[in-house]
Amino acid sequence: MTQPRPEIVSYANALLEAMDGALSQSPNTVILGQGADDHKGIFGSTTGLATKYGADRVSDMPLMEDGMTGIAVGLALNGVYPILTHIRSDFVLLSANQIINLIAKYKYMFGGLFEVPMLIRTVVGRSWGQGAQHSQSLQSLFAHIPGLTVVAPSSAETILDTYPYLIAKHRAPVISFEHRMLYNLDFEVDRSAAPANPLTPRVVRQGRDLTIVATSIMVLEARRAARWLADNADIQAEVIDLHCLSAIDPAVLMTSLGKTGRLLVCDTSWPGFGTAAEVCRLVVEQDPGVLKQPVRSLGMAPAPCPTAKALEDLYYPNLATVVDAAAALVRGRVDHGVPLPAEKTMSDIYKKFRGPF
Amino acid sequence: MPHTAAYREMFRTSLLIRRVEEKIIDLYPSDKIQSPVHLSIGQEAVSVGLCRALAPGDLVFGTYRSHALYVACGGDLTQMFAELMGRIGGISKGKAGSMHLAYPAGGLMGSSAVVASHIPHAVGSALAAKLHRSGQVVACVFGDGSLEEGVAHESFNYAALKQLPVLFVCENNALAVHSRIDSRQAFSIEAMARMYGFPYQRIDAGYDFEEVHRTSAATIDAIRTGVGPQFLEVATVRAKEHVGTGDDFGVGYRDRASYDAWCAKDPLLQDRATYDALIADIDAEITAAVAAAEASPAPGLEELLTDVL
Ligand SMILES: Cc1ncc(C[n+]2csc(CCOP(=O)(O)OP(=O)(O)O)c2C)c(N)n1
Ligand SMILES: [Mg+2]
Repeated sequence: MTQPRPEIVSYANALLEAMDGALSQSPNTVILGQGADDHKGIFGSTTGLATKYGADRVSDMPLMEDGMTGIAVGLALNGVYPILTHIRSDFVLLSANQIINLIAKYKYMFGGLFEVPMLIRTVVGRSWGQGAQHSQSLQSLFAHIPGLTVVAPSSAETILDTYPYLIAKHRAPVISFEHRMLYNLDFEVDRSAAPANPLTPRVVRQGRDLTIVATSIMVLEARRAARWLADNADIQAEVIDLHCLSAIDPAVLMTSLGKTGRLLVCDTSWPGFGTAAEVCRLVVEQDPGVLKQPVRSLGMAPAPCPTAKALEDLYYPNLATVVDAAAALVRGRVDHGVPLPAEKTMSDIYKKFRGPF
Repeated sequence: MPHTAAYREMFRTSLLIRRVEEKIIDLYPSDKIQSPVHLSIGQEAVSVGLCRALAPGDLVFGTYRSHALYVACGGDLTQMFAELMGRIGGISKGKAGSMHLAYPAGGLMGSSAVVASHIPHAVGSALAAKLHRSGQVVACVFGDGSLEEGVAHESFNYAALKQLPVLFVCENNALAVHSRIDSRQAFSIEAMARMYGFPYQRIDAGYDFEEVHRTSAATIDAIRTGVGPQFLEVATVRAKEHVGTGDDFGVGYRDRASYDAWCAKDPLLQDRATYDALIADIDAEITAAVAAAEASPAPGLEELLTDVL
């Protein structure tokens, strides 16, 4: 009997499907964002929806990140579910007052009198000279704030099982860090595999030798590294997609580390005060004895992002640095003897290879 | 000429606000209220005239100077004092305090202590009203200082662009903390409002709740017919220090003469007959509310992490 072919969906099309579904399921849902109604449609994630649902429901916005986010509060308080879009997450910093001082606090501060459910979609840029102000991964900044739900979907499947849940059922404000380099990639999607709680971390690959905890596009890098390690060194890496940064269930981490005893964290952002720091806190607060080796963490170099490609390639972790760190952890020494892939830049690979993942 | 029923009702609500705040002044040294308080004494007529002009279902957003709007929207006094005293019986279970009074049943959808941050909220709720064709009007009350914040511009531009059913009410006491308006603003408020195409009206007699009500009612009626946003500036006087319960005319940043001139016209001070007819009843209501609030326990540990998400 032949296996049924898996369904293939690109990240951008998964987003478009989730947006279309949200608009069709509730007449009270709107999408607001600069360019949300134009021919490029937020990199293909809202294309055609303004025509389908009307200009009132999928609406371009003036350059007013702060005000627009405040408008979302007023909409939510008066019965509308707003979805905001930002083509770069750096611009969300102009709405930080509304997100941190108002949205995160509106339910608690008023003792539960109000709810402000909404979805703020932001896109993290990378490659082709995005530079210091179009490339930041600010998930840990917002995950630090009680009252916010922060997700960083790593695949079409996680979008399709999480966004409809967040929009229809999660009565709280959400900020999502989508990754620009994932938009054009194709993914295998199993629609029957949706977890009961889409906000828990997901074990996306089983392994016995080390645990790689990753976010966003680093989940793909971790999976590719795991394959390399299996093929070239018989090292079996377990890969966990954190997925939701604001509510990490430590049990998922501890179960995996109980098997492997070795932890490598691969985040899209800076390790300090970030996802890597938080994962370490959770693990050490549970049981530091579970670790056989010191933890390793990979993320952006502790500098603003340089524009020059030569520096940008050094700035981000890549397949080789992930393999190198993982092999050193498992072998217990830096001269681990595992061959490293020649590939040095993720952006070049994903331009040629579009999946399916 | 005998006063109308509307006059007496607005007088009563204004006096209720003033006596509530005078009770807060009495209580404050006891530390039963452990939070900053921004008093509205002198400014009551703005909230009272405006809220009377709102219809059921209309919404209003305000600032940390939130007592007057709360009472004018019909908020329960026991729940207010319990809120100020950090008790579980507070309207927000003690988590809001003086700066964040809200009363959704009466249309008050929140009070923000970040200056101007609530202006886009009013615009957003007005956008929802337009999308739903609900017929609601949304009012936004803010101080003169709010107009210096960038988000005021973003919000006004959008409200004008989409012709939303929103009334902007600038409660101009000519002060932001201790800074006078002429040392802060290079623009005129009227010119600013007109730049967005807002019909603009100014009330100089900000103590006159009847005038505030008349103007607000006519403006709100117009907005409800779909003419888009409007802007109302009301000149007013803050009697007390910016935050806290003291008088600060002696410290040099403002003069007493204009306040005295204001008091000479304030109906709550001048209309002794109406005052005398209402005061005993109002004070009894306040005394009962304070006693009931004090009987409410403090929130317990189970509240600490409730309503975070
Ligand atoms: C964004 C922000 N900046 C500064 C402050 C500190 N602050 C509190 S009240 C206030 C004055 C605001 O003046 P105005 O808007 O005229 O209101 P009023 O207090 O006179 O009613 C300031 C500067 C604040 N709360 N929020
Ligand atoms: Mg002022």
